Amino acid sequence: MSKRQLAMVMDLNKCIGCQTCTVACKTQWTNRNGREYMYWNNVETYPGTGYPKNWMELGGGFDAAGDLQPGVIPNLEADYGVPWDYNYESLMTDSAEHSHFKPHVSPTWGPNWDEDQGAGAFPQDNYFFYLPRICNHCTNPGCLSACPRDAIFKREQDGVVLVDLDRCQGYRYCIAGCPYKKIYFNPKISKSEKCILCFPRIEQGLPPACAQQCVGRIRFVGFLDDEESQVYKLVHKYKVAIGLRPDYGTQPNVYYVPPTESPAKFDAEGKIIEGSTRLPIEELEKLFGPDVHAAIKTLKDEMKKRKETGVSELMDILIAYQHADMFRLDNNYYQEVAKEQKRTPLAPVDTRYLAGKFTKAGGHH
Amino acid sequence: MNKILTSLLSLGVAASAALAANSAITAVKVANVEDTAAWSNAKFSDVTLYPQTAIEMNDKKANELTENAKAKKAQVAALYDGKNIALMVKWADGSKDLQSGYASTTYSDGFAVQFAATTAKPQPLPYIGMGSVGRPVVVHLQKANEKVYEPNGNKDVATQINRQQTGVFGQELAEYDAKVASLAVTDYERTFVGEGFRSLTEVKDGSVKSNSSMVYGANGWSGILIRPLKDDYVNLSGTVPVSIAVWDGSKMGRNGLKNLSSWIAVNLDGQKSNAGMVSDLTTDSKGDATKGKAALEANGCNGCHQMTAADPKSFMAPSLKNVGGYSTAAYLRESILKPSAVVVPGYNRNAHSNTPWYNLEKGKRISTMTDYSHLDKATVEDIVAYLKTLKAEVE
Repeated sequence: MSKRQLAMVMDLNKCIGCQTCTVACKTQWTNRNGREYMYWNNVETYPGTGYPKNWMELGGGFDAAGDLQPGVIPNLEADYGVPWDYNYESLMTDSAEHSHFKPHVSPTWGPNWDEDQGAGAFPQDNYFFYLPRICNHCTNPGCLSACPRDAIFKREQDGVVLVDLDRCQGYRYCIAGCPYKKIYFNPKISKSEKCILCFPRIEQGLPPACAQQCVGRIRFVGFLDDEESQVYKLVHKYKVAIGLRPDYGTQPNVYYVPPTESPAKFDAEGKIIEGSTRLPIEELEKLFGPDVHAAIKTLKDEMKKRKETGVSELMDILIAYQHADMFRLDNNYYQEVAKEQKRTPLAPVDTRYLAGKFTKAGGHH
Repeated sequence: MNKILTSLLSLGVAASAALAANSAITAVKVANVEDTAAWSNAKFSDVTLYPQTAIEMNDKKANELTENAKAKKAQVAALYDGKNIALMVKWADGSKDLQSGYASTTYSDGFAVQFAATTAKPQPLPYIGMGSVGRPVVVHLQKANEKVYEPNGNKDVATQINRQQTGVFGQELAEYDAKVASLAVTDYERTFVGEGFRSLTEVKDGSVKSNSSMVYGANGWSGILIRPLKDDYVNLSGTVPVSIAVWDGSKMGRNGLKNLSSWIAVNLDGQKSNAGMVSDLTTDSKGDATKGKAALEANGCNGCHQMTAADPKSFMAPSLKNVGGYSTAAYLRESILKPSAVVVPGYNRNAHSNTPWYNLEKGKRISTMTDYSHLDKATVEDIVAYLKTLKAEVE
């Protein structure tokens, strides 16, 4: 366990599946140099196959006895999907018979192949919601435990899980060990790579690209020990944000506010069945464990309270009025860590998100 | 180097299969080990390579492919001249596997040769594979990876973008492609030093002047390693203990998913050999294996250790089902009497937190295994003799 833990909360009631986070991450980190097929951030439709294909059935994580479970390494073409490209150049130069505009491989699979399919029968009781996923920067990472080279480490200062590319030899046991399949093999450099929680941005006062670009403002970022942070309030004070698949035993540090609002079902005549809800609670229990019931109750109660009294701190947080309140990156803390490590502290590029447990400056709104 | 090997294969150097496993290898003295013709004088010996089963890795598919894997025979010969030692390893492999293409599940064939960094105290030699604390090893690794681009350490970000994003076309794009291609590492040859599992560190400062290569032909690989007899890491003379490992890419082999030999004695022809080490590495244990099995059961060893494939797997201690294949008698003896002398580091402690192999005391790894130094000498020898019988059959 690290000294402090930086965490993210995602409010699933508000995710619209626009993939802005996916694109923000891709253009920042994974559009080049062997990482083309990787999505450090992806948004999948749940229920669905997910990314990589059927990742929940590929093993990894820990059993109740704390033993790391064997896992399967997904196949790039069949399970992740080859990032195909087009023959732009040959359109200009080749003879007419070759100059059809076509992908360089015939695509058979890719992330979001089953977008918006969901489950149930349309229009009576079909349902789905979006599930954005990044590396969970687990307190007990499966990838770290699986590495025979000690090439994966958890940063002491903020719990970000990173790969030491100098030690990594590309053995890929980490991929088998991660139950979320959020660590990837880079075939070009023959090493594993993963979400770095945008630590170079965080250290300079910028939230992770996925969180800052999120148009639905569903993502909160802050330290779990910072009682002023909205992350703390959602996870610890109100307990409405829960880690994904806590049964995997890795203690994930990305937390989700479960989707509580789903439309009612229709009967055979297409009439609303009053009091029904499309989203089966069993699905949420599978994803978030038994704590999901209490979380949903709190959310419903606070919603009611807000309607009746106009006052609810929790609802105000989830409305996400100000980025400056949603992101508390504790810049002074990072500056001190840099000094301790005899590195030159970097000047913040943005002053709005600097506040934190060890940083008094609030910045302007 | 590839040229040398190709011509060698065409020479058809015959392997001598008549010699028993673990006999000493004679390194023939030649004028220049880099001269292809020198290999016509080489004397090949059979070396048996056993599947590494001390710990089971967490790759489900690979484990299915290697379940109850058999041992392999390799033919090994050595040459030396005034400056260098050369080893040739030939082993059967039904398919040529390269880690290639834009894929996440291809693995390459490969081989490695290990030297003990110090042989001042030959009994026992460093732990096979990774060395052990105070007994470092040097490992030369050659893999059949087709092309690898090392992560950018030179801030050459301009060559890391994809060709479509360069904004150039035609001749300029061809030049960009050529520049990128020139940055690829096409010979995956690496040297490591290690003092126990997880300590293995790549030598990147050029202080090891070795050269290795591997060539596929006639249902098998032939690999050559040439390295100096003396450098910052080793000083080889008389009897040189080496150990060999091979990886099979079609079985998803990498890291611990390999076949490896025990320490083999290589005598530099014309030099005074180390009789003690040769006898240690070539003669069978004198104990009574049947009595040893009984003693082992009486002492509860199989409570933690898996002895044969039929026994349940355990995370508590290394599986011993191939220990007779890749361990020396001296090492087995030491492990019984002083379990903490070499702690096979096994799993990450976090991976199996309820079955710790060792505890950290003042930064030192202390094995959870009971010390069996109270056993009488004959019993220990009997147990060692039994352990030496624990190994897979040869395929």
